[in-house]
Amino acid sequence: MHIPVLTLVVFSPLLGVLALLLIPGHNHRAIRWVALGAALVSFGFSCVLLGYQVGGPEFQFREDYSWIPAFGMRYTMGVDGLSVVLVVLTTVLSVVAILYSWTPIQTRVKEYYATMLLLMVGMLGVFVALDLFLFYVFWEISLIPMYLVIGIWGGARRIYATVKFVIYTLVGSLLMLVAILAVAIAHGSATGNFTFSYEALRGFSFAINLQALAFIAFFLAFAIKVPMWPLHTWLPDAHVEAPTAGSIILAGVLLKLGGYGFLRYAVPLLPDAAKSYAPIIIGLAIIAILYGALVSMVQPDLKKLIAYSSVSHMGFVMLGTFVFNAQGLQGAVFQMISHGVTTGALFLLVGVIYERTHDRLIAHMGGLNGKLPQYAAIFGLFTFASIGLPGLSGFIGEFLVLLGAFRFNGLVAGITTVVVILSAVYMLWMFQRVFFTVPSDWMRRFWPSLKDMTRLEWAAVAPLVVLVVALGVFPGPVLHLTEAPVQRIIETVNGAGGLTGLSLPW
Amino acid sequence: MNYFTELSPLLPELILSALVLVVITVDLFLPRDQKWILTPLTVFGLILAGISLPIVWGTNANLLGGFYRVDDLSVFLKGATVVIGILSALFAPSYLRTRRLPLGEFNAVLLFSLLGMCILASASDLITLFLGLELMVMPSYVMAGFHKTDRYSNEGGLKYFLLGSFASAILLFGISWTFGLTGSTHLNAIAKALSQGGPTPGLLVAIGFLTVGATFKAAAVPFHYWTPDAYQGAPTPLTGFLSVGPKLGAFAVLIRIFVDGLGPIKADWLMVMAALAVLTMTGGNIVALTQSNVKRMLAYSSIAHTGYILAGLAAFAGASTSATAQRGIEAVLFYVLGYGVMNVAAFAVVGMLQRDTRRFGGMGSFAGLASRDPWRAAAMAILLLSLTGIPPTVGFFAKLYVLVATVNAGLGWLAVIIALNAALAAFYYLRVIVTMYMRDPESEPAPIDHAAAGNLGLIISVLGVLLLGLFPDRILELLRVSAGSLF
Repeated sequence: MHIPVLTLVVFSPLLGVLALLLIPGHNHRAIRWVALGAALVSFGFSCVLLGYQVGGPEFQFREDYSWIPAFGMRYTMGVDGLSVVLVVLTTVLSVVAILYSWTPIQTRVKEYYATMLLLMVGMLGVFVALDLFLFYVFWEISLIPMYLVIGIWGGARRIYATVKFVIYTLVGSLLMLVAILAVAIAHGSATGNFTFSYEALRGFSFAINLQALAFIAFFLAFAIKVPMWPLHTWLPDAHVEAPTAGSIILAGVLLKLGGYGFLRYAVPLLPDAAKSYAPIIIGLAIIAILYGALVSMVQPDLKKLIAYSSVSHMGFVMLGTFVFNAQGLQGAVFQMISHGVTTGALFLLVGVIYERTHDRLIAHMGGLNGKLPQYAAIFGLFTFASIGLPGLSGFIGEFLVLLGAFRFNGLVAGITTVVVILSAVYMLWMFQRVFFTVPSDWMRRFWPSLKDMTRLEWAAVAPLVVLVVALGVFPGPVLHLTEAPVQRIIETVNGAGGLTGLSLPW
Repeated sequence: MNYFTELSPLLPELILSALVLVVITVDLFLPRDQKWILTPLTVFGLILAGISLPIVWGTNANLLGGFYRVDDLSVFLKGATVVIGILSALFAPSYLRTRRLPLGEFNAVLLFSLLGMCILASASDLITLFLGLELMVMPSYVMAGFHKTDRYSNEGGLKYFLLGSFASAILLFGISWTFGLTGSTHLNAIAKALSQGGPTPGLLVAIGFLTVGATFKAAAVPFHYWTPDAYQGAPTPLTGFLSVGPKLGAFAVLIRIFVDGLGPIKADWLMVMAALAVLTMTGGNIVALTQSNVKRMLAYSSIAHTGYILAGLAAFAGASTSATAQRGIEAVLFYVLGYGVMNVAAFAVVGMLQRDTRRFGGMGSFAGLASRDPWRAAAMAILLLSLTGIPPTVGFFAKLYVLVATVNAGLGWLAVIIALNAALAAFYYLRVIVTMYMRDPESEPAPIDHAAAGNLGLIISVLGVLLLGLFPDRILELLRVSAGSLF
């Protein structure tokens, strides 16, 4: 019998939501267990996907049902290596986020877990959809829960932050919807087969004008999500105001939706445009890498520092994607995974200290090494992972991207390599100010009551510790999975001629 | 002549007419404390009318000497009319009771207006069309001024009446020009005359008058000035009806005049319609953005929705093949239906928070609603997301339909403007969600109306919004056939 694994992965959190509705709101314990259970079930099914046969058909675990035939929309799901790794990253980080929320979230607990589980549905759906319309529906579904998570359980300026987040994302995604329709209609009127199927639309050579415009729309939607400089301004606000679990998901998964969008949709569907726009995007990526690192250095707020470092790290992803060679693309994908794990963990760790002192200012810390040795050790591990120390996951991604950049252009690679040093500067300086030096007067007030990591916090961060080391030492399995999808992208782009003979109406 | 075969396609209209008479009569004899019976009676009658619709589906005949046309398009519009009617009848009673407003009159007025909408939907002659239009809007004027001891209601009703009559006169003037230039009031005859000779300057003037008259009723910018006052003054659940019922009627008029009658010269009015659409959606959204009162915000946002629907008509005009042109009409029909359900329900929720008669639908009433009444807050959130156009709701699919139609018709720029407008609208719709979910209740929170009829209506609407958004296929089939009956 054919088991619809992907449907189970995507929708078991939804079953969790339905179960939550039946539990009385004051029974926090049951609510937390049900939510964790639903996330674990989803995680369990996502592990089945690791049985993806490399060398077999491109998309496996396929499901394909008719949905809205009048518009050629289908419920098509399937995964290739790229999706597999991102789906597993999503389920892992969701479990971590739900586990970590155990004690910090004490208000409106039922709504909180329902929202987190709905968020899971949206994110997982994006990674497995193979129908552009289905993809868009999941894309939008992932938006609203995050909006609620920041807006309800966030910090003081949460409403400003969450509205900014939603409006930014919505502008991009609505324009993308127009582009999706334009692409599907162009294909439909040329072939007589009106469909949103990714496999059908990919490889169809769309008119140059359409590509030039549609790519801009796709670019806006995905670049806002990534976020690319100069569209990143929502990110620091959202991160600072979001509750810790929200930040974990935001940095760990939601930003990857943008990167995935480029790799899965923007580039393969519109290769000519991608090829022609690549230099501009690479330029923006370099700015993002530099800018994120420089701005990180001067951040007084721990969370903001990590948020800006995300801009820099995701810049590597964009750089690796648009140099269009095997090393760059492999590095981009690996960097996404690694950034998800590392930054997710860093946000979690910031949450750990925030829970104790309700403050995140670096100037208010200091000397924590003596008082919280376990915390310092684990924070140190992820600091080094973020810098890109060999043996940890961050190194592989950055190194591969830099290799790809060298093959593309020595100057580009040169600039970016310098930034790697900058990232060491801001991360290590931050680590020094937080954990060494003398404790600030402010921190001393908490000194007697300050406790090291609890068992729950350990449980939440443990999977990430395992992953960050495992990925750093054995990157092979992930690279093996993503090799074929990457190769396919390169072939598509190499076969494309670029935007020659462009004649826009203006 | 066999009267039975002539009249049987009029079954829904006949049921509605009978229902009006029954309601008025029963109302006379009911003691005050039993007036509530009128609501189930009205709803039952409307359901009967709804059941009669499948019987006349597929008739596609000209009746009454060609003055009346029962085609699938009209049956679809009548279906939407009945749905809007049932929801309005469910939402209003409790609100009216709190304010000691007469339920019997409301039901009668509502049914008259619905009857007018049905006649409009079937008009194949400008005379019938005008008749139906007036039968629809006269009761609307009454509804706007229904709260006769409230001066805002008086003001709104009077404004609506004066400007509405003015617009009717302009429409009538346009009709007489059209008659003078084409020699007929029959839409088919007009279309035939137009397809033989091109548009003359005189005809363009006539089209101008018709456009102004009809878009006034649909509340398109720049003919929208009556909307906010009329909508704000009317009792809130009645506002819900006013914001969708007459709009449905107005689009029936627009479809009949512009598609049936002026279809052959659509290239000439394409840009007018597209410009109106852009003006209307942008204007409505920008003004809605500045409102702090939810009722008034929804009133302005209904203008913006008119703009999206007009874009569907523009898509019809811009299409080069009849298949793509049909998409435009389908988009209009789907949007009108979906918008009807979600907007009536959204206004009803505002009304439910006005149990205290000193509340006027301000944002404060919504503060912390999620913790006070989670289900109602969730329902409102779904309705607002649908109005914004977020999947998986009917509002999303309706926008999608319009976007498909416009892109299909080669009006990509219009699609982009629609998309940007939808993002703009998110600002103010989400503001209500923010208030419900992210702010604390006021120290003296607004009492909530828990009337069973209203709750039932809300459940039906929310389920409808979700189901039509997730599985619109059945409706799409009906749409295809009904829009197809025009081509």
